[in-house]
Amino acid sequence: MRECSIQLEEKGDLNILRLDGSLDAYSFPRLESTLGHLQESGKHRVILDCTALEYVSSAALGALIGFARRAREKGGDLKLTNLSPKIYNIVELLGFNKILEVCDTAAEAEAKFGARA
Amino acid sequence: MFYAISIIAELILIAAFVFLYLQNRRLRLQRNALLQEKEATYGFIHDVAEVFADATTVDLDHLLRRVLYYAVRTTRAGAGAVYLYEPDKQNLRARAISGIFPPLLGGVDTGLERAMSKSQHVENMVKTRLIGRGEGLVGEVADFGNAVLLPDAETDPRVPRYELDFLQIRSLLIVPMRFHQQVLGVLVVVNRVDGQPFSPGDLNLLQALADQASISVFYAGLRETLDEKIRIDNDLDAARRIQTSLLPKALPRVEGVELAAFNYPALEIGGDYYDFIEVDDTHLGIAIADVSGKGTGGAIMMSVCRSVIRAHAPRHLSPAQVLKLVNQVLSRDVSEDMFISVLYMVLNTATRELVVARAGHERPIVSTEQGGLTILDSPGVAIGISDTPTFERVLEEVTVSLKPGDVIVAYTDGVTEAMNVRDEEWGLDNLLDAIRVASREGANSVLNNVRQRMERFVGNRQQYDDMTLLALHVMK
Repeated sequence: MRECSIQLEEKGDLNILRLDGSLDAYSFPRLESTLGHLQESGKHRVILDCTALEYVSSAALGALIGFARRAREKGGDLKLTNLSPKIYNIVELLGFNKILEVCDTAAEAEAKFGARA
Repeated sequence: MFYAISIIAELILIAAFVFLYLQNRRLRLQRNALLQEKEATYGFIHDVAEVFADATTVDLDHLLRRVLYYAVRTTRAGAGAVYLYEPDKQNLRARAISGIFPPLLGGVDTGLERAMSKSQHVENMVKTRLIGRGEGLVGEVADFGNAVLLPDAETDPRVPRYELDFLQIRSLLIVPMRFHQQVLGVLVVVNRVDGQPFSPGDLNLLQALADQASISVFYAGLRETLDEKIRIDNDLDAARRIQTSLLPKALPRVEGVELAAFNYPALEIGGDYYDFIEVDDTHLGIAIADVSGKGTGGAIMMSVCRSVIRAHAPRHLSPAQVLKLVNQVLSRDVSEDMFISVLYMVLNTATRELVVARAGHERPIVSTEQGGLTILDSPGVAIGISDTPTFERVLEEVTVSLKPGDVIVAYTDGVTEAMNVRDEEWGLDNLLDAIRVASREGANSVLNNVRQRMERFVGNRQQYDDMTLLALHVMK
């Protein structure tokens, strides 16, 4: 499995993280530290673009929920976009689509952030 | 004439005196410098002996602090740091810091102005910022293993500039810590306290210290890894023992029903469990769960889950009600990123009615005698991850009427995500096939067929997640 690489784009007050590869117990700490840095610097509006994400472990998804919760407490959110059918299936199986906001495209997620601001 | 000669003679004399004085002064200064250097060298030799006197017994962090103390003293530096490679060998972490060590990468953030203790804030920033292999000066020295001496660091574009006086970097010296062909990390010192730039002499001393220190650091690092491994192993051992104790020792004998189950624990992550509960004369509870956290934390969560289900099963024939109670107990105490997916079903053995509640778990499969397959879906979120109102609002149970000959299968994702050497997953389709062709023969036949096909698929590839599967055959 390929390691997960993370590309960060700042778009106004939105931070878009593009994930590439596979996100499991071994690669999650990198995403965790990126999300931690964003949160520490007061950036709570985050979009995770999963277009190139091949695999995500359920434990990694669980950890994302913690970040989403803290972001919401600060008036922001963490939204997922462009999930492959396979990854969406995992999210749905765990019922996490009831907790995390999942959007089809990054544009949709941006619009939803806009509407909330 | 005589006067003129006498004046010239006097002048020559004075010149000679001045010359001798200056010469003497220069020699004295040279001598002092040499003495100082000699002192530094002697001091250094003494220090090295100090540093490593009991190096085989102290822990790595202690040893690094000591190495840094003498490094700073030897080079008369204002501040210093030791960076070591993380176990991944890709990132360097500041393991020891002395003085106010300015960040060499990443700069300082706005939090510095607000920070109560500025030095503490800067130290935290340096300690939390990992430096990649080859990244910046530190990463470069660690990657190539060559020292860098910047007597005048202020003119070097690779050195960050700070407005705050106590962060300014005027002179910088970085040496690699090598052991055999391997770079373990780097030793960095900044700004000599006497305002002089670092000299090649400082470099030699610091490199000599680093070379000596590397041997001890290497072995202390090995010890640290070993200690950590023993600690994790102990934790996993305890977890494994708890988990094993939770599994049924033997399957219950239930009239009209054939039961079968397997559980293969993986080496690393996981925490699967399953349970059959004889609720009353006509009700059988069937639970299967997968906890996301590893180690003892996960095992304890699992054991709470099992106890709550067992305690409440007799009073509540509704599986959704039981899962809500489990969630109420666990959502309070569970650490933020840990959760359990649970499937709990109650079978009425008299009416063959099956009620299913699914909290984020894999959907159960019903196979008819004719080989028809149905995947039972019902909404629900994993336990311990959402707030109670959300959990209770989403969770719904479904009821199905089973027919004689039906086989119902429940499993954990370790089964469908079992991998072969080509990193391919076994997958749901293969599982469904394995169930379909064997279900006419009953629960044990399904179980054995799944096991055989899955084992053939994965070969000798090591698995990282527990694999659990249970099957229940409604007999005629």
